[in-house]
Amino acid sequence: MGNSKLQKFFAPLLNFWAQHSVAVSLVALAVAIAFPLVFNQQYLITVGINCLMFSVLSLSLNLISGYMGITSLGHAAFFGVGAYTAAILSTRLGVNFLGTFLCGTVMAGIFGILLGLPTLRIKGRYLAIVTLGFCEVMRIIELNWMSLTRGPQGISGIPRMELFGFAFSKPIHKYYVVLVLLVLTVLIIWAIMNSRVGRAISAIRDDETASDAMGINVFAYKIMAFSFSAALAGLAGAFYAHYMSFIDPNAFNFDQSILMLSMTIMGGVASIPGSIFGATVLSILPEALRGFSDYRQVIYGMALAIMVVWMPNGLLGGFNLKHIRQRLGVAKLSKKTAKKEGKENV
Amino acid sequence: MSEIILRTENVTQRFGGLVAVNDVSFELHKGEIVGIIGPNGAGKTTFFNDITGMYTPTEGKVFFKDTDITGKKPYEITALGMARTFQTIRLFYRMTALENVMVGMHTRTKANLIDCILRTPNHRRTEKEAEKRALEVLELTGLSEHKYDYATSLPYGLQRRLEIARAMATNPEVLLFDEPAAGMNEAETSDLMEFIRQLQGMGYSILLIEHDMRLVMNICERLYVLDHGNLIAQGKPEDIKSNQQVIEAYLGKGGEITDADA
Repeated sequence: MGNSKLQKFFAPLLNFWAQHSVAVSLVALAVAIAFPLVFNQQYLITVGINCLMFSVLSLSLNLISGYMGITSLGHAAFFGVGAYTAAILSTRLGVNFLGTFLCGTVMAGIFGILLGLPTLRIKGRYLAIVTLGFCEVMRIIELNWMSLTRGPQGISGIPRMELFGFAFSKPIHKYYVVLVLLVLTVLIIWAIMNSRVGRAISAIRDDETASDAMGINVFAYKIMAFSFSAALAGLAGAFYAHYMSFIDPNAFNFDQSILMLSMTIMGGVASIPGSIFGATVLSILPEALRGFSDYRQVIYGMALAIMVVWMPNGLLGGFNLKHIRQRLGVAKLSKKTAKKEGKENV
Repeated sequence: MSEIILRTENVTQRFGGLVAVNDVSFELHKGEIVGIIGPNGAGKTTFFNDITGMYTPTEGKVFFKDTDITGKKPYEITALGMARTFQTIRLFYRMTALENVMVGMHTRTKANLIDCILRTPNHRRTEKEAEKRALEVLELTGLSEHKYDYATSLPYGLQRRLEIARAMATNPEVLLFDEPAAGMNEAETSDLMEFIRQLQGMGYSILLIEHDMRLVMNICERLYVLDHGNLIAQGKPEDIKSNQQVIEAYLGKGGEITDADA
């Protein structure tokens, strides 16, 4: 919502987007598919992979922090659980990547439930602190459980992804794997939010007491959304392990959690395109600002501060394409009937 | 008299040393409009919260159609067939009027996470049913033209009405209104009275807390009067009006209640 002048300026654009949202999504997908074919350089594709992977993470975080309004500062922990699960299973037991993806997802989901059960009755900033603590605890476990995680040395030699004898060895192959994951994530989040479950989630964000009074088991829904969000982060983690072929605890620390939250909030609270946009911008920005490396953090910090002050819902947050479409439909209908009445009067 | 749909037995609610509700027994018959009145701080809302599961009574029991619902969670009680509104409006502000009412349909529809993700027939049926019923409720409450408006953008009177519509969508037998006329002007209150009578005509049993004497005296068939957590009187509005204890509670000694008192 926020700035009404800005809103007026962008209204026609938003209306167009709302009416052609499927087409716009397909164009975006086509661009994503074409990108590595057009810019076939390892560096650019690597940046692209980062954008897509962080889009998955940011989207999954958006489910709880955006749509449900629970700020989590520990999302990187679930990312790490997925990555370690995949790394351990593939290096020790030789599980195929499809198996490790599945196990990483499930394992992160289980951790989500385990963290959620005792903590999700806490609210607001207190819960944020608990998730922050969880992230730290997980990192310390990863650092110290030598026999399982090899501690600070990390796990190396994670086999690349292979399917029916085809090895996803080149960056471009990995790019398409993560693109599939992102499309899957987008479809899942979209499906959830446009359903009975999604309505319950939005209701909980707006007013927990009223949700309870309307027959929603708030705690159960919180657990469900929390573990589901964790599971999707775990999926991204499993991909990360195979993609990097090396992981260590530092990849899943508090900074990463903050980065994911920044992407979600800056891109757009409770918005799918917002999350993708935020992840893309914040993945590219450090690369683009490499030349000004001394000032990079300053510029980055300033951009975030400006965002928080002027657009607290993020760049693409605060509007709902479906609602815009519905209202446009009504406006059109009333125009039509007005015309009809006009004719009858003549 | 028709069957009792909701009753409490000696409900007491203590907060530490404070007795907010003391040994209150009441009953609501099917199809009745019953009011709970009392000065500020009398324990009306606390009693309401005891009934709807927001609080668990320290002592005593609550029965809904002979089922003991004491200590049940609000969402369970709503599923049984009782829905409430709030003293301060609690709508889902970032959702449209239609969506607000569809949230009310939550307990009457059954599509789980898997249904929603896989878009199963069950999901589609649920969505269709929920939307159809929600539109019906909006029509009944005269909110049809605002169905795609955000709850925040509605004028105050309509927000109150939307809250009632949302409660109706849970398909309840009993509606509980916590100060439905709070903050309304004369005209809005008159509309509301008319509306509550219509609701009674649709077969709902209604329990309401209210400060507005005109509304209470006009539409309630029976009244319960609370003061400092104690039930000091009950009966027909006419009798309550002339009850000495009630007059003292409201106005102190020597006062008189008229229709104009709010």
